[in-house]
Amino acid sequence: MLGFAARRMLLLPVTILGLTLLIFLFMSFLSPYELLSTYVSDPRQLQGDAAQTLIKQYGLDQPFYVKYVKWIDEVIHGKFGWSVTLNEPVSKAIMQRFPATLELAIYSIIPIILGGIWLGVTSAVHHNKFIDQMLRVFALLGYSIPSFVLGLVILFIFYGVLGWLPPGRLGVNFSMIYDSSSFYHYTGLVTIDALLNGRFWMFLDALKHLVAPVMTLSFLSWAGLLRITRSSMLEALGQDYVRTARAKGLSERVVINKHARKNALIPATTVAGLMFIGILGGVVITETIFNYPGIGSLMAQASEQLDYATVLGITLIYGLVTVIGNLAVDISYALIDPRVRLR
Amino acid sequence: MRKIFALIAVVLIGIFSIGLAENVVNPDTVVEDTYYNIQSLDPAWVSDVGSEEAISQFYDNLIQYDGTSVTRFLPMISTNVPSVEDGTLLDNGTTYVFHIRQGVYFHNGDLLTPQDVVYSLERAVLFDRAGGPSWMLSEPLLPKIDGRYVDSITQWAVKLAGVKSWNDLFATGTNNPLNDKYKQALIDAFNLLAKDFEIKGNDVIIHLPHPYAPFLATLAHYNTLTSILDQQWCAAHNAWDGKADDWWYYHNPTVNDDPLYNIENGTGPFKLVKWSGGLQITFERFDKYWAGPAKIKYGVINDVSEFTTRKLNLTRGQADVINVLVPYLSQVEGIDGVKVYTHLPTFAIDSIFFTWNVNDQGGNPYLGSGKLDGHGIPPDFFSNKDVRMAFEYLFPYSTYIKEVWLDQALIPNGAVPKGLLGYNPATPTAFHQDLAKAAEYFKKAYNGELWKKGFEFTAVYNTGNTQRQTALQMLQYYAAQVNPKFKINIASELWATYLNDLMMNKIPMFMIGWTGGPDPYNSAQPFYGSGGAFGAFLGASYREWAREHMDPLLSESMSTTDPQKRAELFTEMNTIAHDNALFLFTDQQEGIAVMRSWLKGWEYNPMNFLRLNFYSLSK
Repeated sequence: MLGFAARRMLLLPVTILGLTLLIFLFMSFLSPYELLSTYVSDPRQLQGDAAQTLIKQYGLDQPFYVKYVKWIDEVIHGKFGWSVTLNEPVSKAIMQRFPATLELAIYSIIPIILGGIWLGVTSAVHHNKFIDQMLRVFALLGYSIPSFVLGLVILFIFYGVLGWLPPGRLGVNFSMIYDSSSFYHYTGLVTIDALLNGRFWMFLDALKHLVAPVMTLSFLSWAGLLRITRSSMLEALGQDYVRTARAKGLSERVVINKHARKNALIPATTVAGLMFIGILGGVVITETIFNYPGIGSLMAQASEQLDYATVLGITLIYGLVTVIGNLAVDISYALIDPRVRLR
Repeated sequence: MRKIFALIAVVLIGIFSIGLAENVVNPDTVVEDTYYNIQSLDPAWVSDVGSEEAISQFYDNLIQYDGTSVTRFLPMISTNVPSVEDGTLLDNGTTYVFHIRQGVYFHNGDLLTPQDVVYSLERAVLFDRAGGPSWMLSEPLLPKIDGRYVDSITQWAVKLAGVKSWNDLFATGTNNPLNDKYKQALIDAFNLLAKDFEIKGNDVIIHLPHPYAPFLATLAHYNTLTSILDQQWCAAHNAWDGKADDWWYYHNPTVNDDPLYNIENGTGPFKLVKWSGGLQITFERFDKYWAGPAKIKYGVINDVSEFTTRKLNLTRGQADVINVLVPYLSQVEGIDGVKVYTHLPTFAIDSIFFTWNVNDQGGNPYLGSGKLDGHGIPPDFFSNKDVRMAFEYLFPYSTYIKEVWLDQALIPNGAVPKGLLGYNPATPTAFHQDLAKAAEYFKKAYNGELWKKGFEFTAVYNTGNTQRQTALQMLQYYAAQVNPKFKINIASELWATYLNDLMMNKIPMFMIGWTGGPDPYNSAQPFYGSGGAFGAFLGASYREWAREHMDPLLSESMSTTDPQKRAELFTEMNTIAHDNALFLFTDQQEGIAVMRSWLKGWEYNPMNFLRLNFYSLSK
C-alpha cells in the first residue's frame, strides 16, 4: 500500500504541471486586449495610450510559454503571482479563503454521509413501498433542482422570512471581534478558533452561518449518495450471507445493520470521498449565493475578471486536493474491503 | 440515530436563539452592501467607485462640495475656498491661495503641514499610473506642449530629453536613466511641476501655467486623486520621498509594487481596521478628527454580488444601505422600515455609438458581406451622415425611458448631462422617434441604393446589461418596420471580448456608458474629443473630423474661466454633435438610494453617487 501511495504522490507534480500548462494554453487563445480587461474595467481608464502601456507593462503580449516559464519561476520561489481580484499575493488570498471552504466541507460532509446513507438504507429496506417511492422522488428532486434555486429558496425562507440563518461567515459584531488583534487565529476555521479563544457565542454564530450552505450542499448530495447506497444495499440484501444470517434467526435490525449495511457502505464511501473533494475544490454557486468567503466564490470572482494568476493558484490547490483525496479514497477502500488490494 | 437527531435539535435551538440576540441593531455601526470591488487604497491609483468610496472615508481634500451643489464648495483642509472676492484667486484664474488648517492630525498622530499638501499634489501627478486618474492634475499643473494639454509628466520628460518615448530614457528593463542628460531632463520635468507650488507661512499658493476652469472641482473631496497624504509616513512606507532626483522610480508602478495599496494614513473621519479584498472593508471612528468625531463608531462596506442576499440583509436590518439597480427597484419599494430615494441626479449617460471606420482586415463577421448588397455594410457605413441621422430617428426614446428605465432616466440631448454647466434643455432639441423621417434619411443615403438593397450588420452590448440589450432590440425592431430589408443582428459579449473588439475597431454599432462631472469637460471630451476615451473606438476618420471640429472648442472651453462663455461653448459642441448625429444618446440615468429608515444624516451629491459619506450618518 505504501508503494502505491508513493507512486501516486510522485505523479502529483506531473498532474499539476499538466493542469497549469493546459490553463496557460487556453489563455494563449486570448488576445492582449482581452487580457487587458483584467486591468481595465471602465472606458475612463483608456485615455491616451493607456492600453498599449498596460499591455507592455504587464507583458500581456508575451507568448504563453514565456509567461508560463515566468510563472513556474515564481512558484518555485514560493510566490503564485498577484491576485488582481483581491489585490494581494495569490498565496495570501488562498490562505485566507481556503480555511472557510475547508470548514464548510467538514461541516457538510457529516450530514451528507449520515443522511445519505440513512436515506439509502431506509429506501432499500422499504424497497418499492411508500417510503421508498417518496425517497426516490426526493432523490429525483435533489438531482433536478439547480443549486442556485435551492440556495435562494433556503436563503429566502430561513433568512428572509424566519431570520434564522444569515449569509456570510459571521455577523457584523463578531466579524469585528474576529478581525481584531485580540482574537488569535489558530486554524483559520472560525468555529474552532472561536472555541480556542473562549468565545462560545461566536462559535454558535459561525455555526448559524454554516447551516444554510450545509443544508443546500447536503440536499444536493444526498440524492447521489441515496441512490448509490440504495442500490448497493439492495444488492447486499439479496446476497447469500444475508439469507444465511436471517436463517440463523438473527433479528432484521441486526441483519441490516451488522451484515448488509457494512458491505453496502463500500461504494458509498468512494462517492462520499469524491463529494468531499468536490466541496473542498470550492462550491462556486453555493458560496456565491450565501456570500460565503471561500475558495469557490474567489474562483467565481477571479474567472469573471480573467485573473489568471488566481485561477491558476486555485487550480493548483484543486489539483492537490483531488490527487490526495483520490488517494485517500483508494486507501480507505482497501481498508474497508479486504478483497481490494492496492498495487 | 435518534440520539444524533436529538443532539442536532439541541444545537439548532442554541444557534437560532442567538439569532434573536443579533437582531438588535448595533447603533454604532453602519453597514453598506454593495456590488462593486475595491481595487486599491492608494488615492493616486484609483478611478473606480468602490475604491473612491473607501478612500473618501480615510482622506480629506483641500475643499469639499457644498451640499448638493456641484459648483459651490466649502473649506476642508483649506480654511478657505479661493475666490476673486477675497483675493485668493488671482492672475486671471491662475493663482490659487489656500490657507491650510492648523491642528489637523493624521491617523498616526502626525500633524498636517502645508508641505504635505504640496507633496500630495505632486505625487498625484508623478504617480501617473497607466489608465489612472493623474491626467486630471497633469492638465492644469504642467505647461502645455504645442498648445495642447499635457496628460502625463512623461510627455515633458520625453520632450526635454529629445527622445521618442519614455522607455528610451532608461536602460533596458530598468528605471535607471541611460545618461546624465536624460536624468537632468527628468529632474527638469519635475521642476516644471514643482515651480507651481509656493509655501508662505501657513498658505499653499498654486500658480497654474494656464487657466483651468475645473481646477477647484479637481481638488474637491471625492476626487481621491487630490487627497492629502502624510509625506513623512509615505516615505517611511517606501512611497516617493518628495525628492526631485528619484521620482521616476515611483512612476507608474504595477499594482503589486505600489506600497500604499492596502494601507492608509489620512486625516479623514475614519481609520482602517481591516480590508479583506473582494469581501469587506471595516473602519472605525478617528476621535481626533478636526471637524469632530463621527457619530457612529464603525463603518462596514461589504461586497455582496447577489442582489437577493443584499435585499435580505436590508430587510433583516443586517445592512443599512444597499445598492440596487433599476430592474430590481420594485423589489425594494414598499418594504417596512426601508426608505427608497429615486430620481437622484447623476451624470451617467448611455449612448449607442457609430463606428465611422470599422476594421475589416481578415474579414469581420459584424459587417456581414462587408458590402452594400443587402447582406452587409461597407466598413465606412456610419461615416455617412444620412445613415446616422436615420438611426437617430428610429429609436423610441420615450418608450425606452418609460418601459426599460421605469422613468428613472432622462432623454439626453448631448454628452453634457443635465445638471452641468452648458446643458441647455432647448438647444439642441433632443431627438425623438419619427419613422417617416428615418425612412427619408435612409432613402437619401447612398443615393437610394441603401433603401433598395437593405443592410445587415451586428450591434454589440456587454453581457448582462439588459437595458442595453433592450435598446438595441428596439432599434432592430424599428429598422425592420421601416424597411424589411434592414436587418440588425444583436450580440452580447463579455467585457474581455468586448474590450478587444472595441480596441480593434471591429464593431460597427455598440452601446456603452460614461459617467462625467463635475465639469462638463469631463463629459464632452471623452465623446467629442479626437483623443477622448471613445475616439479610439470610432475609427481614424472620426478622430480626424473631431480634431477639426471639436478639439478647438474643447481647448477653448478650458482656457476661458468665464462660466457664461464656457456654457455657450459646451452648448455649441452639443449642437454640432446633434446636427451631425455623432452619437445616439439613449438615456441619462437617475440614481436610486435604498436604506433603512432608521438611518439619519444621509446626504446626496451627484458627485458622490454610490459613494456613501459615513461621517454624516447615524442611527
